[in-house]
Amino acid sequence: MHRRLDRRLDRTLARAAGRPAPGGTTVRRHLVLLEIAFAVAWCAGGFALLIEWARRFEVALATGVLDAFGLGGQISGVLGDAFLVFGPDGSPVVAEMSASCSALTSVLALSALAVVALRRRAQVVVGLAAACAFVLFANQLRLILSLLAGRYLAVDALVFFHDWVGALLNFAYTLIGLLIMIGLTMHDAQQAEQDRTGRHTANRPDAWARPGLGYRAPVAGAPQGPPVRVAAWLHRNVLPAPVSRWLNARREARRVDYRVGHQTAGRRAAAVRELAGRGLGVHTATLLAVATHETDPIVLDALADAVAARQWEPVSARDVVALRLWARAWLMRAPVRRDLPGGSGRLVAVTGAGGPAGVAVIRALQAAGDHVVALDANPDAVGLRLGGIAVVLPRADAPGYAEALLAAVAEHRPAALVCTVAEEYAALTPLAGRLAELGCRTWLPSPAAAETCLDKAAFAAALHAAGVPHPATVRTAREAALLGGPWVVKPARGRGSRDVVMVDHSADLDHAFAAVPGAIAQPRLTGLEFTADALVGRDGTLLTCVPRWRDETRGGISTRGTTFDSAAVTAVVAATLRAVGHTGPANVQGFVADPERLAADPEAPVRVTVVEVNPRFSGGLPLTLASGADVVGTYVDGILDPAAELPRLTFRPGTRMARYFSEVYYAADGAALPDPLAAAPAVAPQSPAILEEVAP
Amino acid sequence: MTRAPSSSFPGRRRAARAARAEHHRPALAAYAVLFAAAVALFGIDPVLGAIATVLNVVFLLFFFRHLAFAISAARWAERDLAAPTVGAESFTPTIAVLVACKDEELVVDGMVAALLALDYPHEAMTVVVVDDASTDGTGARLDAWAAASPRLRVLHRAPGAGGGKSGALNDALAMVDADVAVIFDADHQPERSVLRRLVRHFRDPNVGAVMGRCVVRNGVESSLASTIFIDYLSGYLVNEYGRQALFELPAYGGANCAVRTDLLHSLGGWNPHTVTEDTDLTLRVLLGGHRVRYDPTAVDFEEAVLSSRRFWKQRYRWARGHQKCLRDYWRPMLASPHLTLAQKAETMLFLWVYHVPVLCGLGLLLISLRAFGIGGTSGITLLPLSALLFAGPFCELAVGLLLGRVERRAAWMLVGFIPAFGMSILTATAAYLDGMWGRRYSWSKTARSGATSAPAAPVPAAAAPATATVSFARRGVAA
Repeated sequence: MHRRLDRRLDRTLARAAGRPAPGGTTVRRHLVLLEIAFAVAWCAGGFALLIEWARRFEVALATGVLDAFGLGGQISGVLGDAFLVFGPDGSPVVAEMSASCSALTSVLALSALAVVALRRRAQVVVGLAAACAFVLFANQLRLILSLLAGRYLAVDALVFFHDWVGALLNFAYTLIGLLIMIGLTMHDAQQAEQDRTGRHTANRPDAWARPGLGYRAPVAGAPQGPPVRVAAWLHRNVLPAPVSRWLNARREARRVDYRVGHQTAGRRAAAVRELAGRGLGVHTATLLAVATHETDPIVLDALADAVAARQWEPVSARDVVALRLWARAWLMRAPVRRDLPGGSGRLVAVTGAGGPAGVAVIRALQAAGDHVVALDANPDAVGLRLGGIAVVLPRADAPGYAEALLAAVAEHRPAALVCTVAEEYAALTPLAGRLAELGCRTWLPSPAAAETCLDKAAFAAALHAAGVPHPATVRTAREAALLGGPWVVKPARGRGSRDVVMVDHSADLDHAFAAVPGAIAQPRLTGLEFTADALVGRDGTLLTCVPRWRDETRGGISTRGTTFDSAAVTAVVAATLRAVGHTGPANVQGFVADPERLAADPEAPVRVTVVEVNPRFSGGLPLTLASGADVVGTYVDGILDPAAELPRLTFRPGTRMARYFSEVYYAADGAALPDPLAAAPAVAPQSPAILEEVAP
Repeated sequence: MTRAPSSSFPGRRRAARAARAEHHRPALAAYAVLFAAAVALFGIDPVLGAIATVLNVVFLLFFFRHLAFAISAARWAERDLAAPTVGAESFTPTIAVLVACKDEELVVDGMVAALLALDYPHEAMTVVVVDDASTDGTGARLDAWAAASPRLRVLHRAPGAGGGKSGALNDALAMVDADVAVIFDADHQPERSVLRRLVRHFRDPNVGAVMGRCVVRNGVESSLASTIFIDYLSGYLVNEYGRQALFELPAYGGANCAVRTDLLHSLGGWNPHTVTEDTDLTLRVLLGGHRVRYDPTAVDFEEAVLSSRRFWKQRYRWARGHQKCLRDYWRPMLASPHLTLAQKAETMLFLWVYHVPVLCGLGLLLISLRAFGIGGTSGITLLPLSALLFAGPFCELAVGLLLGRVERRAAWMLVGFIPAFGMSILTATAAYLDGMWGRRYSWSKTARSGATSAPAAPVPAAAAPATATVSFARRGVAA
C-alpha cells in the first residue's frame, strides 16, 4: 500500500518538475494584468455600447437647459445626435455632437479607476457618483458655452471654443472629477492617521502603529472632524436600535482599540483577558493587533491562555483562526508554565546562586514574594537549596552553557534573569534576544562597560581619562618600585580578594609579580575602606548610592558594616559609573582618606579614591536592603518594564550589620533535610503587654 | 552564493579614458541627421505624425505600468503595512551603520541621536559617521558625540579626498568588519525598529540589498515640502511596492537601505563615477545574480527640500545620474542571464524613467506645432496625450494617499503636481542635453533646513555638565 502511494507521489513530483509552475510573482502579475484588461474592456466596451445613447442624452440635456433659459429657438436638438445652431446672421449650422464631445469617456475612465485602484472602500461609491455628476455638469457647460459662441459670435468661434478651449476644459474637469473622487474616498480628519504635511495625528501607541504613518511632532489642537457626522446621525436618528447594534458589533470586530496599547503591561494583560472573555469574534481585530505587535510576555501569555480557553467558540471569522494559530505556536514554544501559588506570581532566574550576592538576591526576591529559579555551575551551591527551582549549568566559559541556559529558561519560563556574576555578562549578552523570545527579559550592562570594570588596567585608564581619583596602576615590578610602597599586587582580572598580595618591601615585588597571574600593582591606600552599592538607570541616571564602611571582612566579603552618608563619596561614585558607562546594579569600592570629618558633616569634602567597580550586586547587599534602598526590587521592575521610570532610592545612614553563618542540609540525592537548630515555629504574640515589653 | 563580476563599473573605463567629462555628441548628431533625412524623404507632417504615434505608444506603456503598480499596492500593501514581523529578534547579523556628512551641522545631532537609539544588540552594531571635510561645526559635534558614546566612530576625511558620497562611504566601509552595511543620509532619523526590519530579509542568502521606506518629516515647512511628502508616499508605498510585488525588482535607494558587505567588497564598493550611486549599485547587484528587496515597514524620516531652486538641483542630479545609468547598463541588463524576459522589460522601463519627461516635453512641442497647423495626425488619435501624462502618476498618488491614511484635505494638494510635472520636464531635458553634450558635473550636496531635525536635539551625555550629585541618605533619620 505504502509503496504504491510512494510510486504515485514520485510520478506526481516528476510531472511537476517537468512543468514549471508559475511563481507567486508571476501569479500576482497575471492578476494585475487581468484587472487592467478588465478596465480596458470596461472602457472600450462601455464606449462602444453607450456612445450613441450618451450623445443623444447629452444633446437632449443641453437643449433642455437652453429651452429652460428661453434659447430653444436659436439652438435646437431636433436632429437627435447634433445641434442645429442659427448663427448671428441667421444661417443654420449643424454642430455634430461627436464621440469626443461626450463626457462618457471621462465617466468610464473614472469608474474603471474607482474599481481597480480605489477599490473596496464604501466611500468610493459616493466619490464616483459626485465625480460623474461634476463631469457631466462641466461637459454640459462646455457644450452650452460653445453653442452660445456659435449663436452670438460666429461659427468659427464655436469650432475654436469647442476644439481648443474645450479640449483644455475637458482635461481640467476630468482632473477635477478625479480629485473629487479621490478626496471623497480619502479618510476624514477623525479617521486619518496623518495630516496633509505628514504629522501623525491619530495618537497611536508607538509599538502598535503602522510604521511610518506620520512623523511624531507636536500638533497644536485635536484634528477637527466634520461638523455633522452623517454615520453617527443615522445611527442615532434613523436606524432601528437592533440594526444599529448589529452594525456596531460588525464594526467592532474589525476595529483595533488602540487605547489598549497605551496602557502598562499589567493593564494590557487585564484588558486582553476582558476583551477575549467576551468572545474571540467580538474584538478580533484588537486581539490580533496584540498578537501582532505585543512583545511583553505577560500580555502574550494572557492572550494565549484566553485563546486556549475558548476553543469551543465557533470560528466566526478567518482572523480567529489566525489567533488560534498564533496561540498554538506561542504555547508550543514554551510548553511548561507553572502556575505559581501565592506571592507576586513572578518567576525570576538568578545566576551565581552560590555566591554571597546570589544568595542575597534570592533571599531578597523571596522576601518580596517572588519565586526564584536558582542557577549555578556548582551542584553544591547553597543558593540551589534555598527553595524554589534549582538548575545546575555548565560554567559560563564552558561549551554548552548557552544551550543549557536556554533549555532551563524554556522549561521554567522565568520572566526576568538577574545575573550576579560579572564574568557571565559576555556569555549572556549574545543570548539576550533568544531569552527575550522565551519571555525572559534581561538588563545587562553594555559589554564595553562590563569589560572596563573587569579589566583593572582598562578601568584605571577610563578613570584617569574621566579625572576620577584612582590609585596609580602599573604592570611591572620595576614601575611599581618607582611608585613607592607599600603596595597591593593583584591580578588584572580577578574576583573578590583571590590572589591579592600585600607587599611592604620592594625586594618582594618580583616574587609577588611572579606569583600573581597577570599582575598589576597599586600603592596601598590609607584611610577607611568603603563599598557603595549603586543602581544606575538605563539612561545613565544614578538611582541610588548606599555607601557603607567595611568594618570587618572575611574572604573579601563584608561581615560587619555600617551605612554612612557622604556627598563627596556619592559624587565620586556617580563620576566613576559615568566614566565606565555602566547601567544596572554595581558596587564601587574605595577609600576615604579622612573619614573622621564625615562624622560631623556629611557634606565634608573628604578625599575619596576609587579602587574598583563590580558591575553586579555585592555580597553586602543585605545591609543596603536593610537600610531601606530596595535595589533588587527596583532592578527587577526595570528589567520587566524597560520603559518604566524607576524611583530614586534613599537609605538610612548608620544602619549596622553583623553577619553570622547559616546552614542548609540535604541528602546525597539532593533532598532537603531538616535543620536541627531551627527554632520551633514562632508563636504569634498573644497580648499587647508582651509586645510592649519587646518593643523598646 | 554567486559572486558578482568584479569588473563592475561599465561607465568607469570611459570616464577614466577621457579626462574630460564623458559625452555623446555623435549620437545627438546622428539623431539630427536621421530626423533631417526623414523630413527630406517623407515631408515634415508625416514624420511629426509618426513621432507622435511612437510617443503615444510609449506613454501608453508607462501609463499601464503606473496603473499596474497602483493596482498591486491597492490590492496588497495595506495588509503588508500591518503584518507582524517574524523572527526579527533572533536574527542579528553584525551591522555597520554608515553615514556620510558634509556640512550637516543643522541635522547631525538629530541623526546621531536617532542612530544611537536604534533597537539592535549593541555588540552587533557599529555606527560610523564620515565627516567629509565639513567646513562648519559638523566635525566638532560628531567628536563630542563620539566621546560620549563608544559605539560611534567618526572618520574625518581630508578636503579633496574625492568621490563624493561614494568616496566617503567606501572609506567608512574599509574601517568596519560587519556582515551588513546599513546606509543613512545625514538628514535622516530612522524609526527604532528599522535595523531589525531591514536585516530580516538577509535570511535569504540570495538577497544582496534591502531598501526601506523614506518618509518626509518636514512637510509642515513649505507647500513644496508637503507636495514632496505626498510624492514620497506614492513613490514608496505604490511605485516601489509595485516593482517588488510584480517583478521583484525594487530599487536600492541610497539611504535607509542595507547591503551585504562581502557582496559590496566583491563589487568594488560604491561607484564614485556616478552621482546616483544607489541606482548604479542596484543594477550591479542584479547583474551579479543577487536580489534587492524592499521593506515598506522599515521607515525613516528625512527632510524634503524647501525651495524650488534646491528642488531643481536635487532632481537634476537624480535625472543626470539615472540617465547615465541607462547609457551604462542597458546592454548588460538585457544580456543578463539572471533576469526573466518580463524582468528585463521592466528594467528597461525603469531605466527609461528619467527620459520620459524629455519625451513629454517633445510631446508638448508637437501639440504646440499642431496648434499652428504643423504636423500630421497621430496614428493613435483616441488617446489624448495630455490625459496619459497625468492619469498614471495620479493613480499612484491617489493610492499612496489612501494607504498613508492622510486626511482628506490633502487631495487638493495634488493640483500642485501639475507645475511639478512641468518642472520635471525641464530638469530631465536639461540633464539629458547636458549629459549627451558632456557638460562637466560633479556631486552636488542637498542643503538642509534642520527645523525638524530632532524632537529636541539631545546633548551628548559627556558634553553635559555633570549635575551636582547629592547623597541618597535620608538626613536626620539615622538608624
